[in-house]
Amino acid sequence: MNEREELFRRLSAACGGHGIAAGKPHPGEASGTPEGDRVAQFAKAFTAAGGFLLRGPLETALSDLGEMLRAEGVTALFFPEDDAAAREIAEALVPFGPFHLTTGAEVRGGSAAVTAGFRTAEAAIAETGTIVETSAGGKTLLPGLIADVHVSIVPAASVVARMDEALAAFTADPPRNISFLTGPSKTADIEQTLTVGAHGPKKAIALLQWEDTPGGVTSP
Amino acid sequence: MELNANAFGRNARKALLDKTLQEALGRTTGRFVAHRDAAAAAYPEFEATRESASRIKRDVLDHLDTYLARFIEEAEKRGAIVHVARDAAQAREIAARIARDEGVTLAVKSKSMASEEVSFNEALQEAGVTVVESDLGEFIIQLAGEAPSHIIAPAVHKTREEISRLFERHLGEPRTDSIPELVGMARRHLRAKFLSAGMGVSGGNFLVADTGSVVLVTNEGNGRMGTVLPRVHLAVVGIEKVIPRMADLPTFLRLLPRSASGQTISSYVSIVTGTRHAGDPEGPDRMHILLLDCGRSAILEGKYREILKCVRCAACLNVCPVYQSVGGHAYGWVYSGPIGAVLTPLLVGLPEAAALPDASTLCGACADVCPVKIPLPDFLLELRSDAREQGLKTPGEIAAMKGYAGVMKRAGLLEAIERIAGVLGQFFTKGKGITGLPYPFSGWTERRDFPAPAAQPFRKLWKIRRGVTR
Repeated sequence: MNEREELFRRLSAACGGHGIAAGKPHPGEASGTPEGDRVAQFAKAFTAAGGFLLRGPLETALSDLGEMLRAEGVTALFFPEDDAAAREIAEALVPFGPFHLTTGAEVRGGSAAVTAGFRTAEAAIAETGTIVETSAGGKTLLPGLIADVHVSIVPAASVVARMDEALAAFTADPPRNISFLTGPSKTADIEQTLTVGAHGPKKAIALLQWEDTPGGVTSP
Repeated sequence: MELNANAFGRNARKALLDKTLQEALGRTTGRFVAHRDAAAAAYPEFEATRESASRIKRDVLDHLDTYLARFIEEAEKRGAIVHVARDAAQAREIAARIARDEGVTLAVKSKSMASEEVSFNEALQEAGVTVVESDLGEFIIQLAGEAPSHIIAPAVHKTREEISRLFERHLGEPRTDSIPELVGMARRHLRAKFLSAGMGVSGGNFLVADTGSVVLVTNEGNGRMGTVLPRVHLAVVGIEKVIPRMADLPTFLRLLPRSASGQTISSYVSIVTGTRHAGDPEGPDRMHILLLDCGRSAILEGKYREILKCVRCAACLNVCPVYQSVGGHAYGWVYSGPIGAVLTPLLVGLPEAAALPDASTLCGACADVCPVKIPLPDFLLELRSDAREQGLKTPGEIAAMKGYAGVMKRAGLLEAIERIAGVLGQFFTKGKGITGLPYPFSGWTERRDFPAPAAQPFRKLWKIRRGVTR
């Protein structure tokens, strides 16, 4: 009998041979929340988690975003090759600062520049203020992983009320990586003092694409 | 990790005299408790979610064979290689073999309490692999050559000055008293390791049976980096971490961060499943999952089964008056606080850790905050009685407890003793308390001060207040 069979023999003895599994999944609350409420709740939770939210017409958002990136010392911008919305915004930002475009591969190779990574979120979760990024369909995770500043493009229609809905899409055939990103990378490991940028982005910015909203920046 | 649990009394005394530790503990546990309480209060469904989580976990334990088999099947279907270790020695052997077969020389590791149980780092180092801890707190104590003192804040006992000295000595960084600068130094140093390591080692907060996924919850993002960048991913996880379905995950994600740090959700949740798919630009080519039994199946069989519901949030540590006073090192092994006082004896054997169930006032605060409703005080009491049955109590303790029980059963005798003790106690202690008693009561006073007996016993005061005169 190998080690695995041995383990299952011990477990079956301990479980008392109940055989099949009982119990049903805990039903998540039915969503049905109107889009406006979902977006408002997302905005509140995202900023509560330390994220910066930008919204409104693209021209105003670009100018605000450029200023925020300059303040962080960002000089290099990168985005997934196949992400048209992220590309559009990164390219439009170049005139707003001493920014140049680079690639995820270059940043991964050990670029010394301070970087901003752009990516369109696959979903956003109102309940927790979370950006959902996955590797489904060969998408890259580098912008939200190794950049100093992460800029998520969040279409209002992609905001779901609860975690359950965000996960339901991937349960049948999950990609290698499903990531929930909520605010910047944080640590309080030194003297319990909250500090951003332990490993991941020091700043998390969400660019909310929603036509009915007034412009402006919401800071945490 | 070396076991030193039966030296709790000695360890505790040392901890009480450590000024830096005392300050750090006061600051940290107080803050964790306040944040946790605020988060629970702000979430109206907190109690209902606790109930659901407890029910799901109980169901898992009742059918662990079924759920674990499903997890393994789904994980293997998606390209993971699953290993099973009966004990620590076997776990070390498997880990070393994986590293050797994968040709790994540098591994970056995110937090895993289970790996501490089996002295994982030592095993890899013996196999010629450099293991770098990437959680900031773990990284600091690895440089210091120490053990974690708190499940989620492992370096809570270190000041910024001590940390700066460590970074100067080991990383060649200049001295600073700025915490953001210290974090930046660690970030730069560890980023280089993430980009060059052949293997990322992680723990696992949850194993999802219906998808074969490993779920990691972190704030720093190290768990995420170590499971995306290196070409090999090894997850070291206890077999009890299974949950039935992806649909159950939100229930636990609503409880764990709130209970641990008072956050609505941690910064990063990574759900990783199998190896990278064709066309994925990142992700490991190889994924190994090392499942640890290491005493768990034996616990499952007995009356302490529910301890396996634990999600390692550390809420019970922070509210525990004993933990608040002595910190984690005093418990002499991987797990500390009330969960450690129950889990350690069960995993390593009661004779090796019989001192731990006594390291509690049985105040019940731990049970009040446990997100999966583990009856910790009941288990602590039960373990004490097991220790008595196994002959692990001294004759002095047994005699004293018998005497105590005898008195408590007889109201008249108790009253007489109270009256005498009230007079004598006030006379001898001058109201200051009893710090030493002769054998067999010395077993009690060696480690505890006893308040001076009240001049008027409570029952007498109660009678006077209610106007009963006698």
